[in-house]
Amino acid sequence: MSDHLSKQFDLELEHIRTRILQMGGLVESQVQSAIEAFSSGNLELMQQVVERDHDVDANEVGIDEDCTLLIARRQPTARDLRLVMAVSRIVTDLERVGDKAAKIASMSRKLHAAGSQRIPRLSDIQHCGRLATDMLQSALDSLARMDVDTAREVIGADKAIDAAFNAILRQLITYMMEDPRTISEALDIIWIAKAIERIGDHASNIAENVIYVVSGDDVRHTGAARMKADDA
Amino acid sequence: MTGPWAWFAKFLLRSVLPIGGLALLAGFSHGPAWGWAIAALGWLLLVFMHRRQWAALAAWLDSVESTERCQFPQAGGVWGEVLGKLAQRQNDQARRLEEVETRLGSFTGAMDAVPDGLVILDAGHRIQWSNRAAGAHLGIRLPRDDGVIIEHLVRTPGFAEYLANADSSSPFVLQVPAARTRVYTIRVVPLGDANKLVVSLDVTDARRVESMRSTFVANVSHELRTPLTVVSGFLEYFNDEGAVDAEQRKQFARLMSDQTARMLTLVDDLLTLSRLEAEDAPASEEDVDMADLLAQLRAEGQSLSDGRHRLEVICQGPALHGNRKELHSAFGNLVSNAIRYTPAGGEIRIEWAASDGCGVFSVCDSGVGVAAEHLPRLTERFYRVDRGRSRGTGGTGLGLAIVKHILLRHQANLSIESEVGAGSTFRAAFPDWRLSPGK
Repeated sequence: MSDHLSKQFDLELEHIRTRILQMGGLVESQVQSAIEAFSSGNLELMQQVVERDHDVDANEVGIDEDCTLLIARRQPTARDLRLVMAVSRIVTDLERVGDKAAKIASMSRKLHAAGSQRIPRLSDIQHCGRLATDMLQSALDSLARMDVDTAREVIGADKAIDAAFNAILRQLITYMMEDPRTISEALDIIWIAKAIERIGDHASNIAENVIYVVSGDDVRHTGAARMKADDA
Repeated sequence: MTGPWAWFAKFLLRSVLPIGGLALLAGFSHGPAWGWAIAALGWLLLVFMHRRQWAALAAWLDSVESTERCQFPQAGGVWGEVLGKLAQRQNDQARRLEEVETRLGSFTGAMDAVPDGLVILDAGHRIQWSNRAAGAHLGIRLPRDDGVIIEHLVRTPGFAEYLANADSSSPFVLQVPAARTRVYTIRVVPLGDANKLVVSLDVTDARRVESMRSTFVANVSHELRTPLTVVSGFLEYFNDEGAVDAEQRKQFARLMSDQTARMLTLVDDLLTLSRLEAEDAPASEEDVDMADLLAQLRAEGQSLSDGRHRLEVICQGPALHGNRKELHSAFGNLVSNAIRYTPAGGEIRIEWAASDGCGVFSVCDSGVGVAAEHLPRLTERFYRVDRGRSRGTGGTGLGLAIVKHILLRHQANLSIESEVGAGSTFRAAFPDWRLSPGK
């Protein structure tokens, strides 16, 4: 990062970055725990994920406040302003990812409580979940290192999750056609799969913001980053 | 005389004095005009020469900083002396630098060879240096992550707090997302005034062994508990006078003796296993007559099968060097497994043959078979493909573990091929030096 005349300003910017990445770490572990709880049926873990969602929300409020204060006090410009703007967007994405993790956990709990297991716990969900956690991890790594190349890769990886989601959907449709009694269970699993797929979308949003901070290009909705990632 | 004055005197003596002398000589012989002319010319020549050397040196100094190398200036006279000293100094420095670099290189190499991850942080927790293992453990790689704050990369909840209040007495347990199934413990050691050394240790294997030990104890207790429950249940019945008639009493006694026999077998197997583990090699080895051993296995197999299976025994190989008692136990286990897992009317082939220089003992059955996903874990203690089945047929769950141990002591290799519903083949291949040359 560039040096400012005021050392304090540097520290404040660094502090915001540390806070958002710490929140990212919390959200990462939430998603992992949620997916693990779904596949292992660990009720305690599900409960823990649902409870820890409050921490994620508290983080969001705190970081937002920090960003507002920094803008008001220091009037950042250029790259510093972009960083603060990006952090305040990323914080929203992370909070949504946290919500999705909590949703996966509570859905798993519901599935578990219903007791019936007409549909086996698809290993595709785990696969899809692993793709999503990998994406989230790479997106946060790219934010830590301000690494545009990794960020582009993350945006490109979203396709794989979409494909995995569609595969799960097809499988579930077959179950539902064979036996209508599986429908309510299948619907719950679809919610979980959809939540995982959304986590991938949020991860690529985070990556887009990293590109924005480093290069100043707003690549949202343009497909530009995706094309470059495909070229690479 | 040392210092600049010595050099100045040298300069006067070597350059100014000859020119002055020459000018004076010319002035006396050809007139003062010639003298002045020679002095001026000599002086000009002197200035020109010194400037040229100066330019060469300046160019060389420039080239040290830029990428293209320039020849080190060569000269004679005063400049030659100075440049010679400079060149020597330069070489000395280069050699010293090289020495330091090799030493640093071998030090870094040694640090990279350390299996523990090491990361050095400055006061602001920025990464200063890390070794190779840190890359595998924490995903930190130099030079990419030089100067990055470590909390930005290792984001596991709790790590930042641990780092802030470094307490080196209790380590932080980390499950890095990059390597999902692996577990690391992290310690922070203060380094110098403000720096910190982060040490990560891979404890995955230790944890696995720990959990294996606890499951083993749980399994043993469970296996012993089941027959004990049966026996104690019957004993309660016996206490209740009149509740059982003579006929029932007889039946209960038979069931109880079955259960105690099972416990005895289990304890025997456990003892065998611990004895096998305690000793590295069999106590005594001899040339075992395989034809004789196979005949014995056949007799035992037939009595266990009670005529329900067709047994075929083929012995084509030479004698095998090993401990007869242990080999008998290992082969016997394989044969009794084959008989127990093959439905009545099935076929079992026991074969000893030499192939490709190895001695191969194989037991091939047409039994129920084992699904491929169970094969790698089959020789684990108490591993059961089907929880209910093996107890029903009288196994202890230790047979294959014993077989594996005995074969290991005989440097033999156990391979299992199986297809569900079609049967299994257990094959033990012994190295050639265990085969005796004459049949």
